[in-house]
Amino acid sequence: MERLDPRIRLLWVVAALVRTAVFGGVVVGAAFYLQTTTLLADFHSLLLWGAVALAIVLVVGRTVVAWLRYRVWRFEVQDDTLYIERGVFTRIKTVVPFVRVQHVDSRRSPLERAVGLATVVVYTAGSRSADVAIPGLTPTRAEDLREQLRRLAIESGGEDAV
Amino acid sequence: MTKLHPASVPVRSLSRSLSTGTLFFFLGVVASPGGPGNVLVIGSMVLFGIVVGVAYELAYYQRFEYELTADTFDVASGVLSRRAREVPLRRVQNVDVRQNVVQRALGIAAVHVETAGGGQTEVTLRYVDEAEARRLRRRLREGASEEREERPEAERERADAGEPEDLLFAIRPDELAILSVFTIDPGASILGGIALSFASGFDPATFVPVDGLESDLPGSGLIAIGWALLLFLLAAWVLSAALTFNRYYGFRLTRVGDELHYERGLLQRYSGTIPLEKVQTLTIKESVPARWFGYGSLAVETAGYAPGQSGSRGAESAIPLAERGRVDALARSIEPFGSTDLERPPSRARERYAVRYVAALCAIVAVGYVLATYTAVVEDWYAVAAFLILVPPAAHLKWHSRGYRAGERYFLTRTGFWRRTTKVVPYYRVQTAVYHQTIFQRRRRLASVTADTASSASFFGRPATAIDVDTDRALELQQLLADRLQERLQIRRRRSIDGWFDDEVDDSSTGGSTSGPT
Repeated sequence: MERLDPRIRLLWVVAALVRTAVFGGVVVGAAFYLQTTTLLADFHSLLLWGAVALAIVLVVGRTVVAWLRYRVWRFEVQDDTLYIERGVFTRIKTVVPFVRVQHVDSRRSPLERAVGLATVVVYTAGSRSADVAIPGLTPTRAEDLREQLRRLAIESGGEDAV
Repeated sequence: MTKLHPASVPVRSLSRSLSTGTLFFFLGVVASPGGPGNVLVIGSMVLFGIVVGVAYELAYYQRFEYELTADTFDVASGVLSRRAREVPLRRVQNVDVRQNVVQRALGIAAVHVETAGGGQTEVTLRYVDEAEARRLRRRLREGASEEREERPEAERERADAGEPEDLLFAIRPDELAILSVFTIDPGASILGGIALSFASGFDPATFVPVDGLESDLPGSGLIAIGWALLLFLLAAWVLSAALTFNRYYGFRLTRVGDELHYERGLLQRYSGTIPLEKVQTLTIKESVPARWFGYGSLAVETAGYAPGQSGSRGAESAIPLAERGRVDALARSIEPFGSTDLERPPSRARERYAVRYVAALCAIVAVGYVLATYTAVVEDWYAVAAFLILVPPAAHLKWHSRGYRAGERYFLTRTGFWRRTTKVVPYYRVQTAVYHQTIFQRRRRLASVTADTASSASFFGRPATAIDVDTDRALELQQLLADRLQERLQIRRRRSIDGWFDDEVDDSSTGGSTSGPT
């Protein structure tokens, strides 16, 4: 079983921090704004500290989740199928037969480029097509994997794929 | 190249000039000199709008051409911006023919051609001659099934003239009645509400028989609201029944060669095809009131459409409602899936449902308690706790209605007490096999396995999922799905090569797959 590049943790933590910062900023900002009004005057300090605590819990929680996610994530190119294991809270194991692969993408977001990582996305005709993305690959590995999957998909038979 | 039916010009002009006329009416109102209400200006604007609409449709007719070649369907259209489109016949999934009352009187019909993928109908012909529509549908479908070489010309001629159809199903009056009564049309409730508010002059009180009530009775306001609600529900229900009746009146399902052909509708007649060789999933649905009377419905999902797409609602349903035995027989004639003895989830799944219901009830009671403490709205906050009695039977029923079966050629799943849904997936249609386990399932060593297919219905409904299977069994099941897929594909490939001596192996070339030997 192949694991992701450890640097993906950094990427996930940064993404989590950005999201939490936006959300926490809104919540704490709202608590501050409340202090200028007379609404719920008795609970002002409580609300403020609650908002700050919520933001901190979110930051810590999401960092932990990002770490755990890295520990769970695995994938393997098997004989007939691509096998993927992931999910912290909901464990998901996906089997994608090569016969069903419609096309394969490799892509790099700005954040990924900054860290030097890439993502491979495998498309099928199924309804959950977008689900099959493998993040946290080095660019060369991503190219190789894409090439390999493409070859395997073609070799597995020129089916209609539907 | 062929043109549309000449009668399509007036028919299309009617709706077109209605919209352009309205547009210019408003333009006229806004722009008329000397303030609004200048009848002459507005009138001429409207006239201009109508002329533009008619002229456009005339040009549309002149510049719309289509042609059926040996392996493509070509359409050249467009008045201002031209578009030439070629649809490879092998990629055609569904062909629909629609007619409303006016069009039936004129002998014309609209033809819609769908291919897999793409959210829209690929080709729309509005309108062609009835006979031409039938011919097109047959030719297009023949092209799609690649069997045209095999068929002698004489047979094709006969097919055009109306091949002997095999009547599989015709809705019976009692079935139509039950269907109309129990179907809730989402559109009807809105329409019913609108109709009711117009009828009452936006005052629900007009419907309340005030004479019969002491108007100074405490809570008469509540009674008025209750009355309005009741009337609203009644109106929505009647309307919904009427709409459903209109939609499924005279439903017939026939089998012609390798495809199902359905016809339905009272005011607007719909007819269309369901290609059997492209069936992804069968769904048998038995909702609660109808199930108690022994009725069910059958939907056939192909990769063509998104059901619920404008105007094609219910297009995929092979049987809107019928006696259970009839549904079963038809489903088996499409996919002979054999026994439906399902494996139940382990009994610890039942505990899980009970815990879930208790937790939900506790949450409601807690909210009630908070509301009772801080407000005067809620008084007897503990009343909801009485529902705890219902938890064991509810959990049992939920557990009882779930199951799955990994058969020889088919994967069956069932879930839902209120809307019992049984899905049948042929192994060779599986796209991906997904094992998923939530944090709650993990505690009880349970997991779910989904056999995802290319069925477009899965975008809305859920794909076939065996819920709450033992963890080890679930992993086995996932592996089994992947293995059986390879197995079945190999069998199909061999069969198609032996059968057709064809280099180009295609799913659709094994036309007999739906009824072929195991």
